[in-house]
Amino acid sequence: MADVVLSNVHKKFGTFTAVEDLNLDIQQGEFISLLGPSGCGKTTTLRMLAGLEFPTSGEIRIGDRVVNDVPPGDRDIAMVFQSYALYPHMSVGQNIAYPLKKRRVPKTERAGMVAKTAEMLQLTPLLHRKPKELSGGQQQRVALGRALVRDPKVFLLDEPLSNLDAKLRGYMRAELIELHQRLGRTMVYVTHDQLEAMTMSDRIAVMEGGKLQQFAPPQEVYRAPANRFVASFIGTPGMNIVDGSLHEDAGRWTFTAPGFSVDAGQLGPDARPGPAAMGIRPEGLTIGSGPIQGITQLVEQTGHENITVVRLEDGLRMTGRTAPDRLWRTGEPVQLSIDARQAHFFAEGPTGKRLNRDVCTMDAPGSNGTSLKEATS
Amino acid sequence: MLAAVGPPAARRPDPQRYAMAKQQQTVLERQYSRLGLLLIAPTVLVFCAVIAYPLVSAIYLSLFKIFTPTLEGTWVGLDNYRTLLVKGEFWTSLRANLIWTVGTLTLQIIFGVGMALVLHQNIWFRSLARSLILFPYFISTVVAVLVWKWLFNDLYGILNHLMISAGLIDWPIDYLGTMPNAMISVILVGAWKYFPFVVIAVLARLQSIPDQLYEAARIDGAGPIARFFDVTLPQLREVLVVIIMLRAIWDFKEFDLIFLLTGGGPVTSTQTLPLVVYKEAFALNQMGMAAAYAVIMMLIMLVFMILYMRRTQREDT
Ligand SMILES: Nc1ncnc2c1ncn2[C@@H]1O[C@H](COP(=O)(O)OP(=O)(O)OP(=O)(O)O)[C@@H](O)[C@H]1O
Ligand SMILES: [Mg+2]
Repeated sequence: MADVVLSNVHKKFGTFTAVEDLNLDIQQGEFISLLGPSGCGKTTTLRMLAGLEFPTSGEIRIGDRVVNDVPPGDRDIAMVFQSYALYPHMSVGQNIAYPLKKRRVPKTERAGMVAKTAEMLQLTPLLHRKPKELSGGQQQRVALGRALVRDPKVFLLDEPLSNLDAKLRGYMRAELIELHQRLGRTMVYVTHDQLEAMTMSDRIAVMEGGKLQQFAPPQEVYRAPANRFVASFIGTPGMNIVDGSLHEDAGRWTFTAPGFSVDAGQLGPDARPGPAAMGIRPEGLTIGSGPIQGITQLVEQTGHENITVVRLEDGLRMTGRTAPDRLWRTGEPVQLSIDARQAHFFAEGPTGKRLNRDVCTMDAPGSNGTSLKEATS
Repeated sequence: MLAAVGPPAARRPDPQRYAMAKQQQTVLERQYSRLGLLLIAPTVLVFCAVIAYPLVSAIYLSLFKIFTPTLEGTWVGLDNYRTLLVKGEFWTSLRANLIWTVGTLTLQIIFGVGMALVLHQNIWFRSLARSLILFPYFISTVVAVLVWKWLFNDLYGILNHLMISAGLIDWPIDYLGTMPNAMISVILVGAWKYFPFVVIAVLARLQSIPDQLYEAARIDGAGPIARFFDVTLPQLREVLVVIIMLRAIWDFKEFDLIFLLTGGGPVTSTQTLPLVVYKEAFALNQMGMAAAYAVIMMLIMLVFMILYMRRTQREDT
């Protein structure tokens, strides 16, 4: 059952369009991430869901009612703000109890609910402290507690982990996943951190310039990006993208870039001969052998692998992953090959559509073998 | 996992090294404090000249019986204080002073906070209104009081004229010549004159309250009134403490507004302590007695301030 639905939602600030024709269908109990670069309209979308911002046009449904004209307090949502927005003069316990108090939950019941929430978030020893006496991570958990205590229909979280240090972020990420599994509530999570989105979400909505680029499970976003923007935005190190052109010969396509060409095989119906782009993830490159000549330009050693940047003859740079036991020196000549099965082809332009025939061929060798069709259903 | 970041394991300091470190620190500290003294010396000198000297001198004067024109006096010890405290005038003036201070301060706070809330909204004439609101505060007291005296005048004042033509009253009201009208008028003019100070201070604070607090409160189900009491007011508390403290002191020692408006009258019903000080010093030529009044005033304000600071400190912890 669809729990949260945005239909043709537009949001304009004056003449500036922050969100354009957004359609999202969020299932009950799903964990959704809104992912995109800064200023792409993620927060605006979330605030429209919360009722803090009103769509210029379009319809928002939560559960079985249209909530366009429902004030935030009556939407049965809870929101965790990026800056926590804890009430500074109230203790931790009072902060968590506040939404209950405003909904006229009897005092005796309230105490029990606050205690339970505090227990779950390990806040019990801090209940009498004021927010300013807490660390960032503790404040974070209080903000979560204020949302969780009420058991709302939908949780809205705006970059809740962005103020935490790396270790705490990893911990809180795991906590949130577990919490989501335990509560089974719909969660909409805003982030510009793709690692968070990839690890936590059932589906990711990738946005750019106020427009939805792709709305799909993490693996599909990674393996079958809908367009060039999604392809380059997802993945670290990023996908290598090469501009060139496509040619067709009896149903078989060839991609030609200055210096090399790749057999693209069969492409989807949108493929046209002419200017196009090819994308290949670092793991789709083999460094050390192959027909393409280059020079090692940079090697980053991360410990379990090396990220190796190779410069091709005409200045094009390609990034690949290599095993840590073979370290290329900077300036050393090196051969390179591209695994055509892992290549993506995109139409011209920064958000050029992906032209590959289907998602199944994207099953990379060595993956766990589940086809994406199965994963999505 | 998160909650248990305990204190670092207690390490016993090596006593010798510890002592050495302490010694080194004090050398450095001595250097710093010498520089510090040098830097605050000018301020201390100015403070002594303009605050400490007059204060000590006032206390000293209050122990004499002094004839103002010649400034010649005889030592009377605490006699001035003794006379003062048994005199009815001191107590009636103190009472008038408290009524004036509490009354005008309360109205200043209510008008001030209310107006600040209005001006904080997105209304189209906001910037114009914000500058206009300062008008009473910047206008000279003499000018303001003269204008108010014209408005209040029982023979040709516009206030009576308007009220009579509106049919509210049949007979002109004597605003400044009878009680309690005179006290009410003084309190109202005081509130009018000084509420802009409250507006400016509160408005500055209002603008720094994060919007997200209001948004969080809306999501938590708080209506506009709950948002005022649960978000706005607690955020204003600190600035209100400062405003009340400053304004209480300033209103308590207000002289020119009351002196010009009623001169302390009718008879002595609006005669506050500063007016008594003036009367003793320059009308009755009793400089010593005037000084005694001034010292007592200072003590009263000191008591208030200490009580107030205690209270706010307790609330903070
Ligand atoms: N109240 C506003 N008035 C005018 N423009 C706004 C307003 N709020 C947001 N915008 C604009 O809308 C666009 C989207 O903003 P939004 O806050 O949704 O971005 P975001 O995706 O959350 O970015 P970030 O990752 O930096 O938080 C931005 O270009 C921003 O400048
Ligand atoms: Mg944002």
